[in-house]
Amino acid sequence: MTRPTRLLAAVLAVTLLASACGRDDDGGGAAEEGAQLDQGKASGEITVWAMGTEGEKLSVLAEDFMKENPDARVTVTPVPWDGAHNKISTAIAGQETPDVSMLGTTWIGEFANTGALDVVPSDLVSEQDFFPGAWETGVVDGTSYSVPWYVETRLLFVNRAAAEKAGITEAPATWEDLHAAVTALRTKGGAKWGIYLQPGQTGAWQTVMPFVWQNGGDIHDGTRFVLDAAPNVEALAYYESFYADGLSTRDRLREGEPEPKLLSGEIASFVSGPWHIGLLNELGGEGKFELWPMPAGPGEYTSFIGGSNLSVFKEADNRDGAWKFVSYLMRPDVQVRWYQTVSDLPAVQAAWDDPVLADDPLLATFGDQLDTAKAPPPIPTWEQIAAGVDTELEKIAKGATSPEAAATAMQEQASAIGTGN
Amino acid sequence: MRRTRNSRTSPAAGSALYRALTGWTFALPFTVLFLLFTAGPVAVSLVMSVTDIRSADLLDPLGVEVVGFDNYVRLFTDPKFVRACVNTAVFVGVGVPLTMALALAFALGLNSGLVRFRTAFRVGYYLPVVTSIVAISVVWRFLLQPESGLVNELLSAVGIQGPNWLNDEAFALPTLIVMAAWRNLGFAMVIFLAGLQAIPRELYEAATIDGARRWAQLRHLTVPMLAPTMLFVAVITTIAYVQYFEEPFVMTQGGPLDSTLSMAHHTYNQFGFGNYGYASAMGYVLFVVVVGLSIAWFRLLRNNVDR
Repeated sequence: MTRPTRLLAAVLAVTLLASACGRDDDGGGAAEEGAQLDQGKASGEITVWAMGTEGEKLSVLAEDFMKENPDARVTVTPVPWDGAHNKISTAIAGQETPDVSMLGTTWIGEFANTGALDVVPSDLVSEQDFFPGAWETGVVDGTSYSVPWYVETRLLFVNRAAAEKAGITEAPATWEDLHAAVTALRTKGGAKWGIYLQPGQTGAWQTVMPFVWQNGGDIHDGTRFVLDAAPNVEALAYYESFYADGLSTRDRLREGEPEPKLLSGEIASFVSGPWHIGLLNELGGEGKFELWPMPAGPGEYTSFIGGSNLSVFKEADNRDGAWKFVSYLMRPDVQVRWYQTVSDLPAVQAAWDDPVLADDPLLATFGDQLDTAKAPPPIPTWEQIAAGVDTELEKIAKGATSPEAAATAMQEQASAIGTGN
Repeated sequence: MRRTRNSRTSPAAGSALYRALTGWTFALPFTVLFLLFTAGPVAVSLVMSVTDIRSADLLDPLGVEVVGFDNYVRLFTDPKFVRACVNTAVFVGVGVPLTMALALAFALGLNSGLVRFRTAFRVGYYLPVVTSIVAISVVWRFLLQPESGLVNELLSAVGIQGPNWLNDEAFALPTLIVMAAWRNLGFAMVIFLAGLQAIPRELYEAATIDGARRWAQLRHLTVPMLAPTMLFVAVITTIAYVQYFEEPFVMTQGGPLDSTLSMAHHTYNQFGFGNYGYASAMGYVLFVVVVGLSIAWFRLLRNNVDR
């Protein structure tokens, strides 16, 4: 073939292939209910993917499950967090999914959108058993695709000595109180920084969204994004005030930096989740820090809820066994055992009545906060929108933009990206 | 063996076929792997780049709309992408000459004066090349710490207040360029050393007799004789730097304020967000840039090489 003919052939081939494409317009359907399960014990091979520590330790619970269900065989494959999202995407594309997989709470919208997730059977678990914010992470367009497995929420970790020096006896209840307390931690408590708020970059939205919600703002009102609404701008201005007043460093701390700085008193407080109890105790910080719930803004009293969910795939070879294993993991006693194994906070509220959790004062603070904590809406494009939000937050923290301009930029970017539906 | 085979077929046609067959048999493993894992995906991603494929289309990859060059048009109105292009251009524009100059300087040093600890120096300069970027990034972050890092400690010893290297918009990219140059100069240096040792001694002797000083020798003898080596190093380094990804990925995640975001990193992020069509378009722009720059280098240095 001569060069022009070859080119023509190539163009023709691409055009032909392209004409075979075309999106089906199935639109958003009504809420679905999952098919019921068989009675009786689980049987057969059940394959499970789980990430991080959960992936390494889940076999402990799998053993117990197999004792109760002698005909079932659970195979747990640990998947590293870094590659997990890609691995699951690839598995869906290749229709080689496991029966069950652990999923990040912000991934549900995206994977549900591919049509790869099975709808939660209506007789499996009851919505009322879970923290409401956690349950909603699995619900897309009124249909439940995922069950929360464990949860976490964000609180203020405070250096006790600095708080005592600053004369703060109880946790600040309002925005003004928090700002005043953080100022006191710096001026009277001897800390270089009164607080560390993550100055933008990946995940900073998890620190700032609670402020937005506390102020009555939101991300999406069900029909459109509302990131530039007045309550959001005010929340961003509140966030900015900590940097403008010299209360928080504008430089991002790397992994492993905040903990020693909190214990040494260089940073008097930071916002983080339950895993920091363990991290601080490992550094000999036991008894040297206290936990404050997030303050209530003019709106509601709330924080960010995170954690992980469990989903069953439509292509599961053993759908029945898979959901039975999931429901086993949701039993309050199993949730408590899981807490004892890997320190994951139970998503099932009844598990919190167990003395193991109820008698721990530090945990109780988390338990209270979880009742009202919220998650971002399960929209497939959230990760991308969040990245845009993080960039704007970084600009605010560095003083490179105003809260108004940042909110407008967030809104524009989010609207351009859309919800992916 | 050979005799029997030859006797069966006509000598001319048979041996040509036999040779072609042998050739293809040897080439087969590579050809198959290349088609399957390189050419195939490249072609598929070209098709993807003219569609609006997203992660939600995973189960039905043909059920997407063809959007023509929309993705490419969108790219250049995406401020992040434009920023990434500028960052990458700076990284390449400063990084490649810096790396090559340093590598050549060290190679000349090792080739002439230093005899005693030559091996130790060679190992020293080459070590960063074979060390994992993750380990390097940990060490460099310690060195670059604003208050307690070695770099700022040394600076403060001479009375200079060092900046917060990785968190300062003005310093983050230059810091990464220096780090990349340090990390990659070992490879270029080894190639230059080999090139230097291939230059015949007699030429230097003749030049000395003609009265050429060291600088004149370097300018008119060493550099021209090294031209083919330089071309190779330039092409390899440029290709590597245009796709620079590891350093910002582990050190800054593209920050602060996108000042170290590279084209490859931005593409990676877009794939992560599930925008496969858009990310493929970015990948193609990067591909065209790499090819274009390589051709440019060949054009620029070929004249010297041919002479």
